[in-house]
Amino acid sequence: MLRYNLRLALQSFKRAPSLYFLVLITLSVGVGLLSANLALVSAMAGDPIPEKSDQLFHVSMNTWPNDQPQAEPFHILRYREAIKIAESDIPTHSAVFYASGVYARDSKSTSLQRFDSTVRATTPGFFALANAPFAYGSAFAKSSGMEVVIGDELNQKIFAGKNSVGEVLELDGELLTIVGVLKPWFLRPLFYHATEGRAFDLTDDIYAPLETSIDLGWSIHARTSSTVSYKGVKFTRDRNVFYLQAWVELANKSDKKAFQYYLDQYSQSLKTAGEHPLAIRNELRDVNAWLLEQNIVDQKVLAFTLASVLFLCVCVFNASSLLLSRFHSAKFEVGLRRAVGASNKQMLMQGVTESALLGVIAGITSLLLSWFFLKLSTKFLPDLANLAIIEPKILILGMLIALFTAVSSALYPLYRANRYTISAELK
Amino acid sequence: MLIMNNVSRIYRNDTIQTHALRDFSLEVNEGEFVAVTGPSGSGKSTFLNVAGLLDTFDQGEYKLDGISVHGLKDDELSKLRNEKIGFIFQSYNLIPDYSIFDNVDMPLRYRGFSTAERKHRVENALEKVGLASRANYLPSQLSGGQQQRVAIARALAGEPKILLADEPTGNLDSLMARQVMELLHNLNQEGTTIIMVTHDPDQAREVSRNIQIIDGQISDFRIYAPLQTTDKEQSNTKGTTDEHSIEQESVDA
Ligand SMILES: Nc1ncnc2c1ncn2[C@@H]1O[C@H](COP(=O)(O)OP(=O)(O)OP(=O)(O)O)[C@@H](O)[C@H]1O
Ligand SMILES: [Mg+2]
Repeated sequence: MLRYNLRLALQSFKRAPSLYFLVLITLSVGVGLLSANLALVSAMAGDPIPEKSDQLFHVSMNTWPNDQPQAEPFHILRYREAIKIAESDIPTHSAVFYASGVYARDSKSTSLQRFDSTVRATTPGFFALANAPFAYGSAFAKSSGMEVVIGDELNQKIFAGKNSVGEVLELDGELLTIVGVLKPWFLRPLFYHATEGRAFDLTDDIYAPLETSIDLGWSIHARTSSTVSYKGVKFTRDRNVFYLQAWVELANKSDKKAFQYYLDQYSQSLKTAGEHPLAIRNELRDVNAWLLEQNIVDQKVLAFTLASVLFLCVCVFNASSLLLSRFHSAKFEVGLRRAVGASNKQMLMQGVTESALLGVIAGITSLLLSWFFLKLSTKFLPDLANLAIIEPKILILGMLIALFTAVSSALYPLYRANRYTISAELK
Repeated sequence: MLIMNNVSRIYRNDTIQTHALRDFSLEVNEGEFVAVTGPSGSGKSTFLNVAGLLDTFDQGEYKLDGISVHGLKDDELSKLRNEKIGFIFQSYNLIPDYSIFDNVDMPLRYRGFSTAERKHRVENALEKVGLASRANYLPSQLSGGQQQRVAIARALAGEPKILLADEPTGNLDSLMARQVMELLHNLNQEGTTIIMVTHDPDQAREVSRNIQIIDGQISDFRIYAPLQTTDKEQSNTKGTTDEHSIEQESVDA
């Protein structure tokens, strides 16, 4: 029966091609626009590391040395707090880092071309904490040493994607050896650096040991705060310069409690020493709570998504009225099929098959359209460039929405068509 | 085969009620060929539509092949239509962009037959109406008479117990009408019960039984049957068995 119904559907498309084309375009534009928006929202509101987002905690502390100006817990920390965190063995893994940037080239290359590269200056725990996927080699083992891990994109640019472990990079004039190369790594949002409007940046090009980066004076490419003046990152270790972010992986509630206690004890010791006049407030937020607090989902995109839902409704009404006229003109054939013994149910199935087939076709065109809409939207909102990606789940969702809207557009016309008296059209 | 007792069908709209059938009673036995005549608007098509389960009725009782159809659900009615009834319309009602084969095949699709069985039945039915060689034609490539024979093949393909024909020759010239009538007679001889609405008294005369509908009721059956004896004036709205025996006589006479 299904094959017969599909054949009848094709026949029906052939009879009124321009009408079905209109229905198809109407539905595809509506579904395409919505899927494009959903793709953006899903990338923005998604959980970048679902396997352990509830075990990774961002650390905020209020260790400001006087009662001005920072009374709230701060998302960036001094070197001394950061090291205190890195020292603790309560977390399974911890990462303390700052963002920097260097110009990179293959030290053996004859070309002098340098690549502007983002750097994550970090403790080695970062890789295990963030589940960084290694293609070749492994993480560096210490916070010091002239070793780096590089991302896939840089490896493509400099080494054409080959295993470059052991190669030496020249980074701002210093020579560092590659010990690990990552696979393409997408974190949407970039949870480990969701502040300063960078939640939708790509993962970094170069991961360098924290102490090495400080010693080499690689400057801080992110927000800093300080109570004193200082000449560069080299001189930050024992000063009131706030610039490091810290993440810890805590396996369970009691570890979290223990670590909170550990932080609070530390603050208490500062207070006792007279270095911390404020109330003790240290905060641990897991990935999703942290991202939520950063308000990274763009309100414009949300509003536009709502608008595109309404627009899709209008499209469905339009498609429905087109199909109503189509089914009205098919009254004769419905009557005839009923007269020779098709039941209402069978006629309904025939109509649903036809609209489902239409839905599948609309699904495919709508996904092409939504890809196009995404490209267009990144023209107007360049911030979204790294987000404008249709993930498989959005593909599937788009197909389902198309199917659902096509079938629901046909429901009322079908209901109407099957209510005519059978004999009415047959003379 | 078909028993109707006091069936009425009333069409209502905002201003008027039309009693298309009123207290309509009739029994048709297996193997009969019944011609239904009557003035225009008297309810002939309504009767045929109700008999063919294409229309509902408001009151009374209707049994088809021993099954009381009152209160049957849609899929049960559809099954009855599909398996027991073949309908032939005045205007053929073929689907213009389907081949002859697909048109005849249509009722079989709702019966769950295998592809081979359907093919066999369609070919058989087309054979019977003498159009086996035209299976791949479109309806528009056939004459009116041939189209009506295709419609008959479609009605036959499911091997129904009863054929209902509403003015099957109404759109045909006399030669083509002749062919169609011969075909119906042959089918009747093979055992198919046929009820046919006609305006042609000659056609009415050649069949085993005549009934006339006037104003939604069965009226004096003799008007179009001049061959019968005149001493049995009777209005045959009731007593269906009675009616039947009288008609048999009239035909014999
Ligand atoms: N769908 C309908 N709605 C309202 N009235 C109807 C409907 N169908 C038929 N009628 C009315 O019922 C009556 C009987 O109609 P029917 O079609 O049965 O007549 P008929 O005997 O077949 O006539 P004809 O010989 O012209 O075909 C007529 O008065 C007609 O107007
Ligand atoms: Mg009529």
